[in-house]
Amino acid sequence: MKERAFITLTNGFKDKLFRLAKRLLVSNEEAEDATQEVLLKLWKSKGKISEYKNVEAFAMTMTKNYCFDKLKAKETANLKIVHSNYKDERPSLQREVEAKDSLDWVGKILNDLPEQQRMIIQLRDIEQYDNAEIADMLKINETAVRVALSRGRKRIREELLKKHNYGIV
Amino acid sequence: MELSNIEKLLEKYFEGETTISEEKELKVYFTRETVPSHLERYRDLFQYFSEESTVTATKELTLNIDRKRFVYTWIGIAASVALIAGVFLTRSTPSTTADTFEDPEIALQETKKILNMVSQYMNEGKQELVYLKEFENTKNKFIK
Repeated sequence: MKERAFITLTNGFKDKLFRLAKRLLVSNEEAEDATQEVLLKLWKSKGKISEYKNVEAFAMTMTKNYCFDKLKAKETANLKIVHSNYKDERPSLQREVEAKDSLDWVGKILNDLPEQQRMIIQLRDIEQYDNAEIADMLKINETAVRVALSRGRKRIREELLKKHNYGIV
Repeated sequence: MELSNIEKLLEKYFEGETTISEEKELKVYFTRETVPSHLERYRDLFQYFSEESTVTATKELTLNIDRKRFVYTWIGIAASVALIAGVFLTRSTPSTTADTFEDPEIALQETKKILNMVSQYMNEGKQELVYLKEFENTKNKFIK
């Protein structure tokens, strides 16, 4: 497979890989590195690409495994670096800021979920894969996907409710 | 869409039983401007989902490591070519001894002269070895 063909093939889903990596690793830079690594690995095994029945799902699984390895490595490290993706917020209308804030809040809730649920919600609610595809990517069965999905969503609902009732973060 | 319908869908959604298309309906519904106040809190959720699906990496992803390897391959080839060329070009060509005589006849005679001289010295040296015969004679006296 030529480089150009490979790039066109991976362009279809490389953003999805990035978003999954970002959901798990939080940091933009780390997610970019992860995506890069996964694509390179895929490129090195390009001879076998035609053997995989679904390259996209395969790449997603690779990304998941890569991120889990990263997270595991981080757990054992003594020094923990918390990535917050600091951004230069431009002054804007109060309303806009508020809206942005409450969306960030959803992101925060989502990122506090256990990794499995976080990943499944990412794949289902954001990338809109169906449960069978997710089960295939994560190598678990469909019922487990549905259960994790429901638990994750309910957890988000609880947190949203709390926030809504108190009105303060 | 009817409100009760949306509420039903939401319930199904939290049980994880909605289909992809039903979830799309929910997303469309909640990204509208007006949502009843008791459903307001879910708006952020679905808005967040649709916003997140547009996030992309800012860095251009490349396959540059492969290109590096490609360069190394060519450097290797260039180095080996240079090495082989170097070995062949700098190897000193065996020096052929220059002819000292123009005429082969004279050359022959000179050579003969030199060979004669060598054999003459050889014979002179051999004459000194006559004494060795005395050893032989003495030995024969004892060992018969």
